[in-house]
Amino acid sequence: MSVILEVVCPRLLGPAAMVAAAIIVKGYSDVGDGFSAGVVVALAVALRYVTLGAERAERSLPVLRHAPVLAVAGLLLVLAIGFFPVAFGEPPLTHFPRAGEPVVEIGALELTTAVALDVGIFLLVAGALVETIHQIARLVEERRA
Amino acid sequence: MTALSLSLVVPWAAGLVLALLDGRRRLVGWVAVCVLGANLGALVVLAAAVLPDDPVVVTTGNWPAGVGITLRADALGVLFALLSSLALLSATVFEVLEGVRERTFPGLVVLLAAGLTGVFVTGDLFNFYVFFELAMTAGYVLATYGGGRRELGAALVFTTVNLLGTFIFLLSVAGVYHVTGTLEMSGIAARMDEVDANAAVLLAAGFFVAFSVKLGLFPFHFWLPTVYTGARPAVAAILSGGLANIGAYGLLRFGGELLPGELDLAAGALIVIGSASILYGGVLAVSRRTASEMLAYSAIGQVGYVLVAIGVGGPVGFAAAILYTVVNALNKTLLFLTAQMRGALAGATFALGALSVAGVPPAAGFVGKLELFRATAGSPALVALFVLGSALSFVYAFQTYQYDFWRGERRGRRSSAPSRASSPRSRSSSSRWACGRSRCSR
Repeated sequence: MSVILEVVCPRLLGPAAMVAAAIIVKGYSDVGDGFSAGVVVALAVALRYVTLGAERAERSLPVLRHAPVLAVAGLLLVLAIGFFPVAFGEPPLTHFPRAGEPVVEIGALELTTAVALDVGIFLLVAGALVETIHQIARLVEERRA
Repeated sequence: MTALSLSLVVPWAAGLVLALLDGRRRLVGWVAVCVLGANLGALVVLAAAVLPDDPVVVTTGNWPAGVGITLRADALGVLFALLSSLALLSATVFEVLEGVRERTFPGLVVLLAAGLTGVFVTGDLFNFYVFFELAMTAGYVLATYGGGRRELGAALVFTTVNLLGTFIFLLSVAGVYHVTGTLEMSGIAARMDEVDANAAVLLAAGFFVAFSVKLGLFPFHFWLPTVYTGARPAVAAILSGGLANIGAYGLLRFGGELLPGELDLAAGALIVIGSASILYGGVLAVSRRTASEMLAYSAIGQVGYVLVAIGVGGPVGFAAAILYTVVNALNKTLLFLTAQMRGALAGATFALGALSVAGVPPAAGFVGKLELFRATAGSPALVALFVLGSALSFVYAFQTYQYDFWRGERRGRRSSAPSRASSPRSRSSSSRWACGRSRCSR
């Protein structure tokens, strides 16, 4: 393992998270969505597992141990966003505010329920992939031991 | 619309939460039972709305038709959803009373319920595939339930074969989209007439193979005995009473509604395959010594009746196929659950299920058989086949009943493989019937 790899890889997670956030946000006018954002983050995490090993990777970033919870929380968020319109007599997956209605803005960012749906998908994909990586890493280390 | 959404979202969300909890705790098991009960309740409300009036149709997100995903609950779908939900509920109550052995069991069953409900209430072909896959994935993991060598072996066979079946299904879905340009079921039905006949036959064959694998019809049955005998009773009941309904529903929905022309074309072949299934399942079930093996082969025979009824077609044939599927799913759930229990009440319940499989009057199976006879009244050969099949069912069901419940030679539950391997030998020496067959039953 070269020194460069060991120094650079753990620091890639920050930029990867930034790229993921950009992919989610630009999904509303351009190519991008929660799914690909989740894959980008999971790839950065996978690189961390490869360079640091499962033990060190999870000690340095304890949230990785809770990947299944994140995945389930993401899917629950998706279901909540998808089905809450039913309570107002609208079909599932109706998004608010609807076309033409005023939107809450934070700077250039426009908030709609569709963004929350994509955040949920992002959590689901990232969580499920990280858990898969964790299981594979565990298998590899068991075999090595 | 609310009932439709609730019947989907309640088991889906609850299944996710339950998957995180330790299912071996009794409370979690009962929560799963409550969720399945709520799912069943929502489906009953939905059925009350669907049966007298028109189907309930919801297009997600208020999108125009063809863009948004359509959820469509009609009488056929709601009936199958109710049936599957009931089977899952019974099996879960059984397993919770027995004591759940693995932490994931309640969550998986509830997720399976979400997938099955989705399959039966969707009006969109791709969505059908997604829910199908959700249900199947839960099924694959459930098949490993118990964690022993036998269960894992059964799960491997189940997963491999059914993944192949699902792959063929997905290819056919892609083909349908290619030739019709839509994934909405009503749109496909309308456009299928203009499709090139060769392409349509190929697609129909793909769907037929995919659903036949799921049902375990005769040439595609090879995975079924291993899985149903290897899995735990509750899981076998869930797979045969709940998950297998997808196959019958698929044949009815895709054959009867989307590809009626191709179904007419293949009617003769369906009747031949169905008849082969009836005879094969019946004869092999008679030769089996353990209840679970008998039930596995019986399942192959029983779906043959459904296929013959679909082949006969027309309102009478389809009605008979639906009715027989309902009766068969209830029979299998009941028999798989009671086969490993002992005692007077369990014996009486098993006898009731056995009567139903044979089609003897006081049991529900009689109504199913009666409809089958009505559907095939014009053909003496088919009537003769059904009589023969029923006679075989009577023999195998009561043969097992006699061995297991009357003679009391097999007491208690055989939970592990070694005891199972040793017990039949001692049994066969004492029985007149088993001398010639004890070899082939193992």
